[in-house]
Amino acid sequence: MAPKAKPAPSQPAPPPALEDLFTTLNRHIQASAYDNAVKLTDQILAIAPGDEDALRCKVVALIKNDRVEDALSAIHSSKKQLDDFHFLKAYCLYRQNKLDEALESLKRQESNDETMLLECQILYRLGKMDACLDIYRKFQNSKIDNMEINSVAALVMAGRSSEVQGMLDSL
Amino acid sequence: FPPAFQAISRNPIVLDLAYNMIEFPPIENRMKKDRKAKGGFISRIFG
Repeated sequence: MAPKAKPAPSQPAPPPALEDLFTTLNRHIQASAYDNAVKLTDQILAIAPGDEDALRCKVVALIKNDRVEDALSAIHSSKKQLDDFHFLKAYCLYRQNKLDEALESLKRQESNDETMLLECQILYRLGKMDACLDIYRKFQNSKIDNMEINSVAALVMAGRSSEVQGMLDSL
Repeated sequence: FPPAFQAISRNPIVLDLAYNMIEFPPIENRMKKDRKAKGGFISRIFG
């Protein structure tokens, strides 16, 4: 039996401490205790620098705590080029009203529902209502809650209030 | 006096819908396996 047990350590199992930290982190996330969640991600990143799950949890927790400035520095602190962090970065820049930079960051990410929603909100703030409405039209048949509120706002700001009723009727 | 109330236009409401799309990544696979799975793993080695 003993020789059989020997190959086990060669398995690339993560150190158990890390698993414990993720378990605790998950508990904080479920409880919306974002300050504690950030502390846990810092502990994980101290042991495993460059852990993408931990970094993503940290950035999201910071955003949920309205600390977009800190979220941005967390993204920038990563030495790796993180491809799917562009959306989060764009969102932080949008919250800081750095709209052109936000658009720039969004362009680096493959387009999906979340990037298009954010793009609409950026275009709205930039006053580009027609471009904004073009994207909203693509969402018309998707089931995103409260989507119509932003579409109506864009129509009104575009001076196309007369189209509002028709848009709402078509839903 | 007092002057009559007047209606003024206001900017329409815009919601931050992108915020709702921001979610934590799934980390279940990074957590400690539950006891049942662990028991199975240990018994596979030592059983």
